[in-house]
Amino acid sequence: MKWIDRNNLPEELKNLPDSSFESLHQEDIKDEKFQTKPVGFFRDAMIRLSKSKVSMISVSCIVLIIILALLVPNITGYSFTEQNLGNKNLPPKIQGLEKLGIADGTRVLENRKKDALSDPDRYPEGSVLEILREFDSKGVAMVDVKVDYYKYVGAEDNRYHWFGTDYLGRDLLTRLFQGTRISLMIAFFSVLTNCFIGVIYGAISGYYGGKVDMILTHVAEVLDGMPYIVVTILFMILFGSGMVSIVLALTITGWIGTSRLIRSQFYRFKGREYVLAARTLGVPDLTLIFRHILPNCVGPLITRVMIAIPGAIFSESFLAYLGLGIKAPNPSIGVLLADGQKVLLQYPYQTLFPAVLISLLMIAFNLFSNGLRDALDPTKRGEE
Amino acid sequence: MADSQYILEVNNLCQHFTSGHGKKKMTVKAVDDVSFGVRPAETFGLVGESGCGKTTTGRTIIRLYNPTSGEVLFNGRDIASKMNGDLRRYLTDNIAMIFQDPIESLNPKMTIEEIVGEGLKVRGMKDRAEIRQKVIEMLRKVGLVEEHATRYPHEFSGGQRQRIGIARAIIINPKLIIADEPVSALDVSVQAQVINLLNDLKEEMGLTILFIAHNLSVVKYFSDRIGVMYYGHLVEVAKGDDLYRNPLHPYTKALLSAIPEPNPLTERSRVRVDYVPERDHDYSKEQPSMVEVEPEHYVYCSPSELKKWSV
Repeated sequence: MKWIDRNNLPEELKNLPDSSFESLHQEDIKDEKFQTKPVGFFRDAMIRLSKSKVSMISVSCIVLIIILALLVPNITGYSFTEQNLGNKNLPPKIQGLEKLGIADGTRVLENRKKDALSDPDRYPEGSVLEILREFDSKGVAMVDVKVDYYKYVGAEDNRYHWFGTDYLGRDLLTRLFQGTRISLMIAFFSVLTNCFIGVIYGAISGYYGGKVDMILTHVAEVLDGMPYIVVTILFMILFGSGMVSIVLALTITGWIGTSRLIRSQFYRFKGREYVLAARTLGVPDLTLIFRHILPNCVGPLITRVMIAIPGAIFSESFLAYLGLGIKAPNPSIGVLLADGQKVLLQYPYQTLFPAVLISLLMIAFNLFSNGLRDALDPTKRGEE
Repeated sequence: MADSQYILEVNNLCQHFTSGHGKKKMTVKAVDDVSFGVRPAETFGLVGESGCGKTTTGRTIIRLYNPTSGEVLFNGRDIASKMNGDLRRYLTDNIAMIFQDPIESLNPKMTIEEIVGEGLKVRGMKDRAEIRQKVIEMLRKVGLVEEHATRYPHEFSGGQRQRIGIARAIIINPKLIIADEPVSALDVSVQAQVINLLNDLKEEMGLTILFIAHNLSVVKYFSDRIGVMYYGHLVEVAKGDDLYRNPLHPYTKALLSAIPEPNPLTERSRVRVDYVPERDHDYSKEQPSMVEVEPEHYVYCSPSELKKWSV
């Protein structure tokens, strides 16, 4: 093929009018229908989430704990306030498992006088199961003895406390799940208020920027600088110790993190072309904030909420541990832990069960929020 | 250039950005003393290299930025004055914008129906069925099908997304469309498709288009008149053909010499012209201004340059 030099063209071809040219692309643009179903943002995220085993396990763990917290206090047959001083500090006893030698309601009593074993007032019929050690102390015969503690304190035969009882004879299973209920409620309400305040504050600060942003950020920093324990104690004095004051105490500085997150997200998104496009259409500020920018921040926000829930439970336990918990006789996981640790060496089960439950909650929420973060990550959009 | 024949008239528009305070204060003159006019139903091309202020000019006209000084007249009404509800309404009813990046310019969390219907919703249309019908009509106009309305942006190709952007702009029946590099992110075959679509719509709806681009061949194909920008200044304005046949300003010459030739033989002998403002201009004695050299052909020059160039 020979190249055609423009300068060697025949004269009549040199100055052709435009009208003698015709575009190759003359047919109308017609697009095909898509064959697949429309996939929205959340659907897409849920598909990815359901493929992660860890998330699914942790989610079922959370759901199970919530269901237990709703059901258990109503079906144990004990109320969480019901005291029974005769039955205090009973060890765990569970139907079925007792035959296997675990949770059978037994306890080892150490350094008891051997003579007293035959006294039916002190050791009722059938309560002594096994003498573990006999020894002599200053001329008195002593024993370590394993007893059926339920019989020892004279409880009825059909009495079962799965997780034992506390120092006032209250059923710990009921109290644990009642406590979970309250802890979850505190976490839920504090995170909800944190989110509400944080989103609005951060949105205004991030969207308007400039001087507004500067003032709002400094106000938040001043609040953030206040010692949190002092503020909490002040709240307790003002409102008394109760759920409201704990939620308020967790809110007073808790929203600042959310507002910072939302503010940075707004800085990221407000200059995007789709926001500019909406502005050129005359969309008002409020619609821009809540319809155009905020939905794009929802991924990090949900992840943050999921991390904040175990954080709030943890803070509540911490406050309870310091004695700033909710008012007795209401339990929370933190209150139970604080009570349990006083008798940790004698009755370790009183600490064990709340500790296991709070650990499970923490791990499940953290793993779930990890999974959610990956699922909501926009860079993974459309994979799989 | 005061002339009532223009639908859009930009007079001495300045857009300066400042940063820092006190001694650290810096001013960037993104758009400096720019004046031009656009006639009804014509396409005015604005070209220049990256960062020369052409996008800023477009965004200032539609008031994404508040202009530092100057006036912008649309149908005789100043739209660069202080913003209020009435002016915003007037502005958004009459001028629409098409954006450069087809991925960035559509909200990933909204369906196409919501994106395209937004303009109607803002204008107080409440009936969902009516909005939907209008949206579908617009989608058909840009070559999409009804079923696409329920889809999300990430499911479309670049060309399709750009057409969605066009549908969003034309649904409010604007008189002027500011097209900010609408095809520079697309590949060449799709560029032709989108440009032809814009051309058809322009004829059908009697639109005026302010076309911002850096691709000279596209601008030449599409525009009636062309303005060349350099460093915030408009250096030459002329009819498309005039500009290509008889460029006067050295920057325009440099720009035109950068267009590759399709013919390899002539491409080999193409000479690139450099533009060095310090060498090409001597503005120490006389100040440059916009001068009409021929009818409809304006160039930014000093009197001595005018004599030299127009020979």
